[in-house]
Amino acid sequence: MLGAFVNAFRTPDLRRKLLFVLAIIVIFRLGSQLPSPGVNVSNVRECVAQLESNSGVYGLINLFSGGALLQLTVFALGIMPYITASIILQLLVVVIPRLEALKKEGQAGQAKITQYTRYLTLALAILQATGIVALARGGQLLQGCTLPLLYDDGVQTMLTMVITMTAGTAIIMWFGELITDRGIGNGMSILIFTQVVATFPSALWQLKEERGWDVFGMVLVIGMVIIAVVIFMEQGQRRIPVQYARRMVGRRMYGGSSTYIPLKVNQAGIIPVIFASSLLYLPALATQFDQDQSSSVAQWIQAHLVSGDHPIYMAVYFAMIIFFTYFYVAITFNPQEVADNMKKYGGFIPGIRAGKPTEEYLSYVLSRITAPGATYLGLIALIPLIALALVNANQNFPFGGTSILIMVGVALDTVKQIESQLQQRNYEGFLR
Amino acid sequence: MIITLTVLLVLTSLLLTLLVLLHKGRGGGLSDMFGGGMSSGLGGSSVAERNLDRITIGAGVIWFACVVALGLLLKIEHGG
Repeated sequence: MLGAFVNAFRTPDLRRKLLFVLAIIVIFRLGSQLPSPGVNVSNVRECVAQLESNSGVYGLINLFSGGALLQLTVFALGIMPYITASIILQLLVVVIPRLEALKKEGQAGQAKITQYTRYLTLALAILQATGIVALARGGQLLQGCTLPLLYDDGVQTMLTMVITMTAGTAIIMWFGELITDRGIGNGMSILIFTQVVATFPSALWQLKEERGWDVFGMVLVIGMVIIAVVIFMEQGQRRIPVQYARRMVGRRMYGGSSTYIPLKVNQAGIIPVIFASSLLYLPALATQFDQDQSSSVAQWIQAHLVSGDHPIYMAVYFAMIIFFTYFYVAITFNPQEVADNMKKYGGFIPGIRAGKPTEEYLSYVLSRITAPGATYLGLIALIPLIALALVNANQNFPFGGTSILIMVGVALDTVKQIESQLQQRNYEGFLR
Repeated sequence: MIITLTVLLVLTSLLLTLLVLLHKGRGGGLSDMFGGGMSSGLGGSSVAERNLDRITIGAGVIWFACVVALGLLLKIEHGG
C-alpha cells in the first residue's frame, strides 16, 4: 500500500499531476478563508461562535462551502452554483427537445451543454451572492446576532461584494476544470471533497469537547463501520455477460470476445442525496423571507420540515431519495440504447435474443438491482438525522450520510484513476 | 485609495469572469462528478488556450492582491 504511494510519486508524470492538484487545493482553501472586502471580520467571528450549532437551513450549503459561506469569504458560494446549474441542465435535457438533440450529438453537443452550464453557473452565482449579501446586511444571515456584519450599508459596498463573490465562483469553476484537465480525477468533485474534509476534524473535535472521550470513541467506531458499508456497496456490481460474435471484415477477424456490462448497485452515486436535500431545503428557505413567520403554512413548515429529527422530515427525505435514485438511473442508463448498440456490433447476452428482449431484460435487472441501492442511499442519508434524534448531536454530525458518501465516493474514484495511471507503467496498484 | 482599489477590484472581477468564460469548458455534467464513467478526453491545450491561462493567472493575482489590500485598508479605516 505505502509502496504504491512511493511509486506514484516516483513516476514523473503522475507526480506532476498530484502536485498540481495539491497546489490548487491549497489556493482554494486559502481563498475560502479570505474575507471579501467590506466584511467586519471580528463581528462575523463572534456571531459564528455565538451560533455554535449551525442552523439547519444552511447546513448543507455550509457543508459544501467548507464553512466559507457563513464567514462571507470570497469563495463563499463555493461549488454550489455549479452543482445547481448542472442539476437544472440535467433536468432540462429531459424536458427541452433541443437540449436532448444536443446531448445525442455526442462530444460537440456535450461541450455546448457544458458551456450553457457555465453561463448558468455565473447567473446563479450573481443571484445567490446578492441574496447572501442582502441577508448579511439585514442581519438575517446569522440569526440571533445583532452585531453588524458589514462595515457600511451602502449600495456601493454591496455591489463590490457581489461582484467579488461572483468572480470567486468563476475562479472556482476554472480551478475545477484545470484539475479535470491537467490533474487527476474530476475537478469539481475533488473541490467538494476538500471542503467536506476541511470541516471534518473541527466537527469531530467539537463532539469530543461537548461529549467527552467515550462518545467520541463510539462515533469513530460507528463511522468506520459506516465507511466500510459504503465502500462495500459502492463497489458492488452485477456483471451481465455479453458475447460478441466473430466476424470477418476484409482479411481481419473482429469480435469473438466475451465481456460484461457492469451494473452497479448504486448506479446513481450520491446525486439523489444532493437533489433531495437541495429540494427539501427550499421550503425552509422560503419561510426565511417571511419576517414574522406567523402564517400557518410557515409555522407548519418550521415545525415539520426544518428540524431533521421530525418523522415527517425523515419520511419525505427518504421517499425523495428513492424517487430520485430511480429517476437518475433512468436518465443516465438507457437500456434501449445499450441493447441497440449491442445489436449493432453483433453482441448478445447468452440465452436472450438481441433487440427488444435484451432491452427488457436489462431494464428488469436494473430496476431490481436499484431497489437495494436506493434503500441503501436513503438509509445512509438518514444516519445523521437518526443520530440527531438519539444522542442529540447537532445536524452537522461528522459522520453524516452526505459527507461520508461524498468522501468515500470521490476518494474511490480518484484512487481508481491514479491506479489506472500507475498500471500503465506496470506498477503494483493500491487496490487488489 | 480605497476608491481606486474598489474600482480596480470591480474591473479585475469582471475581466476574470470573462476570461474564465472564454476557456473551453472541460469535464461537464454531474454524472462525471460523482463516480460516472471515466472520461479522459486528452486533447492537449492549444497555444491560444495557454496564453489565455497566463492572462487569467495574471488577472487572478491582481484580483487577489486587491481583495487583500482592500480588506486591510477597510479594517484600518474602521479601526477594527
